[in-house]
Amino acid sequence: MSAVSAGGGNRSTTLFVLRNAPVLLFIVLLACFGLMSDRFLTVTNFVNIVIQAAHIGIIAIGMTFVLLIGGIDLSIGANMYIVAAVLGLFLKDLPLAISFPLVTLIGLAFGAVNAWFITRLRVAAFITTLSTLFIGRGIALYFSGNKMVGFSPEVLALGRASYFGVPSAIWGFAIVFIAAYVTLSQTTFGRQIYAVGADPDAAGKAGIDVRRIVFSVYCIAGVCAAIGGLISLSQVAVASSTFGFQKEFPVIAATVLGGTSLFGGRGGVLGTVFGAVLIQTVENGLVMTNADPYLYPLVISIIIFIAVFIDSSRNSILERLERRQIRVERV
Amino acid sequence: MSSTQSITPGSAAEATRPQRSFAVRLLMSEYLVLVLTAIYFLVMWALVPSIATADTLLDILAAMMPLLVVAIGQTFVLIVAGIDLAAPSILAAASVAGASMMTGEGGFALFTGVPIGVGILAFVGVGLLIGLLNGVCVTRLGMPPFIVTLTTMMFFSGFALFYTSALTDDGSSFGDLPSAFVAIGQGTWHGVPYSLALAGAVMLVAHLTLSRTVFGSWLYAIGRNPRAAAISGVPVRRAVLWAFVISGLCGGIASIIYTGRLETGTPVLGQRILLDIVGSAVIGGVSLFGGKGRVTWTLYGVLFLSVVDKGLQLLGLDLASVFAIKGLVILSAAVLDAVRHRLTLRG
Repeated sequence: MSAVSAGGGNRSTTLFVLRNAPVLLFIVLLACFGLMSDRFLTVTNFVNIVIQAAHIGIIAIGMTFVLLIGGIDLSIGANMYIVAAVLGLFLKDLPLAISFPLVTLIGLAFGAVNAWFITRLRVAAFITTLSTLFIGRGIALYFSGNKMVGFSPEVLALGRASYFGVPSAIWGFAIVFIAAYVTLSQTTFGRQIYAVGADPDAAGKAGIDVRRIVFSVYCIAGVCAAIGGLISLSQVAVASSTFGFQKEFPVIAATVLGGTSLFGGRGGVLGTVFGAVLIQTVENGLVMTNADPYLYPLVISIIIFIAVFIDSSRNSILERLERRQIRVERV
Repeated sequence: MSSTQSITPGSAAEATRPQRSFAVRLLMSEYLVLVLTAIYFLVMWALVPSIATADTLLDILAAMMPLLVVAIGQTFVLIVAGIDLAAPSILAAASVAGASMMTGEGGFALFTGVPIGVGILAFVGVGLLIGLLNGVCVTRLGMPPFIVTLTTMMFFSGFALFYTSALTDDGSSFGDLPSAFVAIGQGTWHGVPYSLALAGAVMLVAHLTLSRTVFGSWLYAIGRNPRAAAISGVPVRRAVLWAFVISGLCGGIASIIYTGRLETGTPVLGQRILLDIVGSAVIGGVSLFGGKGRVTWTLYGVLFLSVVDKGLQLLGLDLASVFAIKGLVILSAAVLDAVRHRLTLRG
């Protein structure tokens, strides 16, 4: 093999690795944990991982919409807790077919309040959602009196139920994902979200109602936080006063890990699902290999860091590598 | 934007414009937050007279010093349009690292004879190192500050917990710190807390750095428009790196005061004050989008939040009300700022 073609071979390998870096990272992790624990690489375990990742994944799908327009929502944890408190304290006796849509509307209203401050009063999203994080948790703590909130047996039964052999959490995750995916990739609204995220001024000049788009994405984030909260509480039986506390961090991490940019206009929900499952896989793998629980946050943060580092350096490296290929090769 | 910074070239237009009402001028003033603090204080005085005693006032002052120091560091990062979410983890990591050096229960630096000196070096060193790491990732690896500091926050909070669990008997904190060190956080000199003097010194140096040095003007230029700054010859990367290092250093110093006040090095130090740190700077008027901010504004914001906190505490409210009121207060300050911004645009 000549030197030139060997160089070309290396280059295409590098390109391949860079393009598929997150997936390769995932495979490497699977292999490592699989070697360390024979219980890890099983179908049952993988189903468990997806069930455990479902609530973070759903909320992160909502967060993806917000990040796509260049916004941020820190209040999702408080939103989850309000949903849990209202469901457990006031709507316990209603059938789920009524109480679930009602609390989802509360999530929507929470998102709409954020959206109103951000679009009408032009308050920065970071500060608005930071404040509603406090206000929302304060209101919910007032309802719950800082005590554990329990749920009706039906809620817990739903958490354990399976339909057509698929657990309820995965159904919820899949439905939210498909709805979000179709919205972003197949509808005008979805294209407008990307347009607003890429350049709000240009989008406005092109006739897009920027405020309406921004308003809607915060509402979507609110609804997703409510649904994610419902799935989470159906799994944990009781909600303590720290339910949903600081959930914004893993949610944003999952979204960014999935390749969605914090500056708007770039990303999608498929990556977000991947990010949420990846984080949960690491956590599950650490449990399976009996690692010291104190090491979990260390390992998880390092993996998020590596993934984001690869993602941020990938574009510039890809650009450089691809540019070189057009040049005349010097032998 | 403050009236002092928004002096526009159109001074002719300025002259022909009708005199603004007192309310509008107050709203546009950079001292608005101070006025709000005073109003809040007067209302609280009527409700709980004990807020106006010398003891309570001194307590408010002493309690706000560590927050002030770490918020000043955050101001540097905010001015270059960054954010340092790692600040609480710097407090925690520095606290356990420093305390582990000088604890009476087998501190690493006891053999040196100057455990306090080594301990303080550890506080400052940990702060500098984490700040440097953040800065390098942002400037050399081109990663967004939000994500870099989010992951370093997760990492070093986790590390502080791990370190403490591995090195202490009860796995929760390092106690038995030298009394001379504890005095930094608690002691007074003729009634003036040492922490006040230390924070005052940090504030003065930070203020002079931002307002009187070339480095300070570089930071503002980068925050307003990084590309224009780079073209004009500002070493953007180096300056941003330093902003993160300064934030880390301030975190280390704040951790000394906090740890001294609590008399223990604990990995949960500052776990819940991230939002207070960023919130107080922004309430004071520092912009999250860069290019705008002053050390004195951050001081006003910290003072405001501290007085609000103390007032709610004296009222004996439950956690729920404290959360809700604090959120409402931050939101109102942000809405006021948005209104101010629009008034500025309208001219």
